[in-house]
This record gives sequence, structure tokens and C-alpha cells, in this order.
Amino acid sequence: MGMKGRLLAVLAGAAIVTGIAVTAAFGAHKADPGISASTITIGGTFPLTGPASLYKTIPAAEKAYFDYVNDHGGVNGRKIDFKIVDDGYDPSKTVPLTQQLVEQDKVFAVYGSLGTAPNLAIWNYLNQKKVPHVLLATGDSYWGFSAKKYPYTIGFQPDYPGETKIYGQYINANLKGAKIGVLYQNDSYGKNYYAGLRVGLGANKSSIVSAQPYDLSAGNVTQQVLALKASGADTFVILATPTPTIQALVTAAKVGWTPANVFINNVSAVGTFIKLAAANGAKVDGAISAGAYVDASVPSESNWAGVKLAKQIVSQYAPSLDVNNSLTIYGLANAWTMAYGLKNAGKTPTRAGLMRALKNLNPAKAKNPFLYPGVKLQTGAKDNFPLEQEILIRWGGGATGFWTPFGKLYSKIR
Amino acid sequence: MKFIPAAVAAAVVVVLPFFLSGYHQGLAVYVALYFVAILGLNILTGYTGQISIGHGGFMAIGGYTTAVLSHYEHWNLILTLPASLGVCFLVGIFVGVPALRLSGVYLALVTFGFAVSVPQLPLKFSKFLGGSNGLHTDHTVTHLWLYVVSWSCAGIAFLLAWLLLRGRTGRAFRAVRDSEVAAASSGIALPIYKTLAFGVSGAFAGVAGSLLVLATNGFAQPSEFTVLVSLQILIGAAVAGLGSLWGVVVGAVFIGLLPSISASVPLIGSSHGQDVVFGLIVILVMLLLPNGVAGLLRGFEPRFKTAIKPGP
Amino acid sequence: MTALAQRIGSMRKSAVSTGGSIPVVLFLLAAAAFLVIGSLSSDIFAQQTVAGLAQGAIFGSLALALVLIYRATEVINFAQGELAMATTYIAYQLTLWGLSYWLAFFLTLPIALVLGMAIQVVLIRPVQHSIIAVVIVTVGLFILIDGIVTWVWGADLKFMDAPFGNTVYHAGGVAFSRQDIGVLAVSILSVIVLWFLFQFTKIGLAMRAAALRPAAAALVGVRVNWMLAIGWGLAAVLGAVAGLMTEPTQFLQPTMMQAILLYAFAAAVLGGLESPAGAVIGGLSLGVFLNLIGQYIGVATPELRLPIAFLVLLLVLLVKPTGLFGRKQVRRV
Repeated sequence: MGMKGRLLAVLAGAAIVTGIAVTAAFGAHKADPGISASTITIGGTFPLTGPASLYKTIPAAEKAYFDYVNDHGGVNGRKIDFKIVDDGYDPSKTVPLTQQLVEQDKVFAVYGSLGTAPNLAIWNYLNQKKVPHVLLATGDSYWGFSAKKYPYTIGFQPDYPGETKIYGQYINANLKGAKIGVLYQNDSYGKNYYAGLRVGLGANKSSIVSAQPYDLSAGNVTQQVLALKASGADTFVILATPTPTIQALVTAAKVGWTPANVFINNVSAVGTFIKLAAANGAKVDGAISAGAYVDASVPSESNWAGVKLAKQIVSQYAPSLDVNNSLTIYGLANAWTMAYGLKNAGKTPTRAGLMRALKNLNPAKAKNPFLYPGVKLQTGAKDNFPLEQEILIRWGGGATGFWTPFGKLYSKIR
Repeated sequence: MKFIPAAVAAAVVVVLPFFLSGYHQGLAVYVALYFVAILGLNILTGYTGQISIGHGGFMAIGGYTTAVLSHYEHWNLILTLPASLGVCFLVGIFVGVPALRLSGVYLALVTFGFAVSVPQLPLKFSKFLGGSNGLHTDHTVTHLWLYVVSWSCAGIAFLLAWLLLRGRTGRAFRAVRDSEVAAASSGIALPIYKTLAFGVSGAFAGVAGSLLVLATNGFAQPSEFTVLVSLQILIGAAVAGLGSLWGVVVGAVFIGLLPSISASVPLIGSSHGQDVVFGLIVILVMLLLPNGVAGLLRGFEPRFKTAIKPGP
Repeated sequence: MTALAQRIGSMRKSAVSTGGSIPVVLFLLAAAAFLVIGSLSSDIFAQQTVAGLAQGAIFGSLALALVLIYRATEVINFAQGELAMATTYIAYQLTLWGLSYWLAFFLTLPIALVLGMAIQVVLIRPVQHSIIAVVIVTVGLFILIDGIVTWVWGADLKFMDAPFGNTVYHAGGVAFSRQDIGVLAVSILSVIVLWFLFQFTKIGLAMRAAALRPAAAALVGVRVNWMLAIGWGLAAVLGAVAGLMTEPTQFLQPTMMQAILLYAFAAAVLGGLESPAGAVIGGLSLGVFLNLIGQYIGVATPELRLPIAFLVLLLVLLVKPTGLFGRKQVRRV
């Protein structure tokens, strides 16, 4: 070859090498942590032990759902590996455990972590590290309202203030002249619930004749129930976690207070708890709560697709769970949403893709079978709350009864 | 010559973070803060014989001091540490005064009550102190920052303790432990030294509490400071024994790392399994390895020989 | 036995003196009168008093166990509440295996006795020469028992049958349940049984001797070690009763006794750490006091109940360490 030829060859070689280098730099982007050719690793902190351990049904149900998905092709061919970690509802454990999930186990996303205080302790950290912090198992509204400051965080269930707003509206419309007595937990859980009730009552909030806070560590709510009885209230609104709720119902019966109407917040309205209260003397028939999901214990729903699917999944993947427990259905509904998000996070899922999918839920496509008919999964640029609808439910049948939905579907409850 | 082990340890601490991932640096932070707390309790219980099951209360006060100063007044986080030290020193003195009239199990009872009551205060004053959701600092810090700060605190704490205990004060402390009556009759002003011990010990626990809050992403919450924390520090001090730097390190490692180690061991891997291990180890240490706590116990034999004796 | 009783009688007189019992009795009578008058004039006062008595009976029943151990061995068992909780779970397990509530109740008592004695012999005796070591062992026991119970039964809420039924009675504007009366009755019965035990039985006398003057008692033939073990065993029995009486209100969960432990300590100290009757009266007083303060003093919201109990504990120990019914002890040099 002549001088010219050699020069050409060198230039061509350089061009090819450069081209390959550039393609390599731009094309082969590193996959997000937690994504391998065959698995997606996610994890969350849950109270498997400790004062809130009755919620451990939720991660168990979520895992069952993921097992079902894995057996049916997974998420675009990848299996979901769900790490359930026990923080005992203690935020000082949640922090190091979450750090472990992110930095040691290299999870793709922190999913479903349970509890307001635990999640408040980690959302700074997760958003700083740009780790998805999604579908949290808590109904506080912080997550929904903070999309700008914490773009990697999103909740799931209808928020607490929205739920009690419905109770307020219902009371205004159907229980004129009611004298309301409220028992609420003295933390953001109870206080947010209480604030929502006052919003729902609007001008009518003076009908609250007594509002009694209690501290979870106190062990019982006798004092407060006595005060409510003394106030002459005939409508009892219980905004408490399960154990104090049961205690409140039983104590009310014990001290001979029988309010005409009882409202129980959805978190504590799981059938098991109501039956326990009834078995210990509480008068529960006619109590009202709200829900957003199907319920396997309601006879008229037993043929619904969601109920059938739930029964199938539970019997096959988690036979020790009780499909009639609303926490089980909650877990399935939540996990469905996560699987949907993962499926729509890109052919090779990315964290940004997951957030995009979850923040742009289109109800026409995201048809979650475990939701009560009419309740829709929907989010958008101005809406960071996936579920915003609920139906009222009423208890009947005492210690062997169940919740029956009634009335209209409340929408845009927030 | 005798400084060589300490120098080696210091060198290890300085070099270690280069080999540890951020997550493991975080674990080392817990060891450091428990080191400070256990050292403090050792001064009180090991050196002056006053039992406290209430040091979680001091940790809570220190932790909330840091959170309040940072949240409302935007103090430099490092400056909140001496503030916490000062506040808890004063609280310790304040607690130490009535403690003068109590001894043995009575003091243990009262400090237990202290530990149970202090976490209630943020719930009562929830507007100012954040209630059960807690109060957080105005910004969070990296693992490395925490590692450096916490181990510096550990080093300073150790130095302070060493200086305090080798001099006249230390001799006075030991005299109080061995026999209060003898100490008093030889002219040692018991009240001053006993109260001082409470102050110093509380101050150390306060700093440990601040470090705990910083390690928990800057959150101070009542649920971080339950009575179990007090029990854990006491157990750490028991495992540590007295008079040995390495003892306190062992105690701190035990308390600081057991949760994460036990989380990955099968059968044990959950918080109740961890409790079983915890309880078993401390009981076994007390029963079988009195050497580890020989110093703690040595001082009490003369005083309590007349109380309970095994019969023939 | 008469010789032993005489010896003990003389030992007691020389070692102790009764602490102001007449003023105390008068004070309690005055307080009782105040409560009666208040209850007659205000329904809510009456209801709070009754609820306070019901809760106080629960404090008192655990305080009884604490007092028994202290009286027999001069030690505070920090694991008493957890032990009580564990024995309650054992009763629960017996009901799961088909036994009726009361059969399980009475079967649990000897189990508790053996468990308490075993703990004293295996864990406490080796370290009983050092108060700190004993405190640490009981603290370790606290955590260990909590861990074992959660491991075996799980942490979720469980329920047992109500021992006395749920019937509610009404008198005037006040309601109280059969359960409340039952708990009170059981506590008073326990005090009477204990009193009988200590005053009239050989074992009771021997236990008192072993606690007051171990060396002298040993010389008289009392097997001091066994007496200490029996003391712990009996305390465990009382703890089991306390746990079973607490279950209807707190329900069965591993933390059920932790909430009331401080109140039980305060009650025991208030009543005088050596007096079983004091423990129950201390508990009742504390329960009523907390309720009335909570009702009538605005700033004393429920979050402050624990700190208030702590203050009661502190004040009693500072001002009158022997409590309402305790006896002064001379401190040996």
C-alpha cells in the first residue's frame, strides 16, 4: 500500500474504534440495581413482630401474589424476588434495615414498607439515593402530597383523612342531630383521621361533643370511653389501631354505653377484630366503616372474579392465610399494582420507568381485579394518590357476621 | 509500652472505613455510640456502685436536644453534641441528688421509672417535640461523616473517662463503691462524688443518644428510646465488666452488631430470636464468666455478705 | 414449731419497729370517706373511682408477686411481669389443648410454682451475693422470656374466655362488670391466703426466718436455700394469677404486662415493699388516684399517667421509703 492507502486504513480503523467506543458508551447503559437477566429484586420493611404484628398478613399475601405471577411468566420473563424484612414497627430499626436492603441487597425498589413513622424515617434517604419508595402500606396523606419534594415516593390506599371525610358527609346527610364522640390515637394516624372528620362535617363540626385522644402505650382506653359516655354522645367514631379499637368496643359495652351509631376506621375494621370484639361482649351490629376492595366473606361477592382469584391464589400459594381477612385482599391488591408497575417499567425495567408507570396509572388499562367495582387506580401529573374512592360497609351478624357494602360509591374523597 | 494496644486500636479505627462499604460504616457507628453509653454507665455502676436501668432516658434527652436545636435553630450538627453533653450532665446531677437517698434495688426501681417516663414527654408536648412521628434534624449526613464523628466521640469519651478515673476523683469513686461508710468516715464527700458520677454518666449517655438520632436519619422518636434501650445498655455494661477498655468494646460490639448479625442467622433471624440470644448470653455471662464482670461484682461482696447467704 | 415461732418473734422485735401504722390507717379511712362522698355526689366521680379500683386491683395483683419475692429474698424481680405473662400463655395453651378455662387456671398454678423455683435455683442462687448481678440476671430474664414467648406463640393478639363473664351491673349511674369484682375478690383472697401462710404454717414461719436472719434460721434447722426457692415459686404463682386477671382487659399479647409493670412497682412501693396487704391497697389507691387526677386536673392527660406513677414511686421512696404499711429496717454496717 502507498502512503495514501496507509493513511486511509488508519483513519478507517480510528473511525471504527471510535464508533464502537461511542456506541458502547451510549448504548450499553448499566442496568439499575436489582435487575438481572432473570430476576427483579424488591424489598420492604414490615412489622412481623411487635405491637403491629397482626399486619404481617399483608406481606405474606403480597408474596403469594408474586409467586403466582412468577409461575405465570413473571414480569416480562423475570421473576420477582421479594425480600420481607422485620422492623417491628420501630423506626430506629427501619433505617438500618432499609439501608441494608438498598446498599447490601441492592434492591430495585423499596416496596410496600408499612407504617407512617417508619416510612417518614426513610423517605429522605431513599429519595436522595433515587430509590423508588412505592405503594407504602399506610394511609397517611404525606406521600400523596409530597410528589415535588419526594418524587420517588408514592402511597397506595385511600388516605385516612379522605375516609373520615366520607363519614362526616354521611353523618351530615343521614344522621341529623347526631352528637358525636370521637376516640382517636394521639399521633399523626389518629390526628389526621380526626382532621378529615372535621372537614367532612364542615359547618356541622360543632356536633362533636367530645374528642378523646389516647396513647397507644397506655394499654387500655377505659378512661376515654368513660369520658365519651359522660358526654352524652350517641355516635361513636373510633379512629384507632386494632387493639384499642377492640378494647374500646368491649369497654363501651362493659360500662353500659350503647351509642346508636358506631363508625370504625377501615384499618381496624378487619372482620377478625370485629368478631373478637363481639365475642367479648361488644355490640357491633350496625357499625359502619369504609372499604375499597372486594371481600371474600360477603356472600353476594363470592362469584366475583377478584374473589375467585384471591381464593385460588391463597389456597395454592399461601394456604395458611385467611382469604376472608381483608388484610389478605389488601396485600393482593397492592401486589397486583406493583406487578403492573414493573411490567410497564420498560423491557429492561428501570427505576425511572417504574416511577413513570406508577405515576401515570390509567384506569382503563390498570384494571385491578381486587378493587371494589367502580374503584379505580388512577394517578397523573397532579394526582399522586392511586386510590381515592370508597364504599361504605355495615356490619351484621354479631360474632359470626360480615361487612355488607351499601349506598353509593364516594369519589375524589380527598 | 502499655499504650501499644490502644494505639493499634486507634489505627484500626482510622483505617477501617477505607475498607468498609457505607452500610458497614453505618454498623460501626452503632458500635461507637454504644461504646460511649456503656462507658458512661460503667462509670456510674462499675465505679461508684449506683445501679441505673434508666440510661435510655438520658439518651432520649440527648437525642431530642440535638433534634430540637437542629430543627428549630438550625445549629451545626456537631455543635449539638456538646450541647447534649451539657444538658444531660445537668439532668444527671438533678437525678443524682435524690438518688443519694436511695440504694441498691430502690435506685434501680427509680431509674427504671425514669426510663419509662421520659419517652412519654414528647407525646405530651407533641407540638413542640413532634409527638409519635418524631422530630427530625434539618438535614441528614453521610455514613462516613457519622463514622468519623461517632468514633471521635468514642475516643474523646474514653480519654475523658481515663483522666477522670486515674486521679483523685477515680480513687474517690472506687472508695465509694467498696464501702460507703468507710469512704465517708475517711473524709470523702460522698454526695459530691456520687452526684458527679451521675452527671458524667448521664452526659455520656446523652451524647450517645444524639449519635443514635443522627444515625437514624436525623429522626428522634419516642419509639427509639423505649425501656429496652436502657436494658440493653445495662446488659452491655455487664458483658463489658470493669477496668478494661476491651471489655467496653466487647460490650459495645455485642449490643451494636447483634441485631444485624442475628438477622441473617437461620432460626435466630428475627427480632424475637434476637431477644432469646440476648437474654441467654447475658444470663450465661453473669453465671459462668464472672471474670468478665468480676470488677463490677468485686466491690459488692463486702457490703452484701450479710444480706443473703446460702444456708448449710 | 412454738420454739421457732418464739425465736422469730423475738428476732422481729429486735430487728424492726412498726412504722407509724395509726396515722396511716386514719389517712386511709379519711381517703375512703372522701371517695364515698365524692361518688355519692357525682356520677362521673363514682364511675372513675370504680374503674380506678378495677385497674388498681390488677396493679395490686402483680405488686403482690413483687412484694412476696422482696419479702422472701430482698430482691426486686424485674422479670416478674414477663414471668406472669409467660404463665398466662401457658394457661392459654392448655385451653387450646381442650381444657376448660378454670381447669387450665388451676393447672397453671403448680406449673408456675415449679418454674419460679427452677429459676431461683438455676439462675439466681449462683449470683445472689451481688445485688447488681441479680438485677442484671432478672433483666436478662425479662428479655429472654419475651423472646421465647414471641417465638413460640407469635406476637398477634389472642383472647381467652372471660373468667367471670361479661355481665355488667348498674348501680345508680355507675356501671361495673362481674370481671372487675372478680379481680378484686381474687386479689383480696390472695392476701388472706398469704397472711394465713405466713402466720400459721411451718413453711411460712421458716420463710420469714430465712428472710430476716438467714444465719440464725439456718442454726435452728431452716433450710434457707429451699425457702428462697419456695419464695420465688409462690411469687410466680401470684404472678400467674395476676396475668390471668389482667388478660380480660389487656388481652393476650407479649407486651401485656409491660404496660402495667411500672404501676405495679409504684403500687408495691406505695404499700410498703414487705406488706402483701399494702401491695393490694397500694394498687387500689394508685388506680383511683390516677383516674381522679386524670379526670379533674386538666393538664394531666393520659400521656402523663406513667410519669405521674413514676413521681409517686419517687416521692414515696424519698419521703417514706417503707410505704404505707412497711416496717423500718436498721441498716447494717
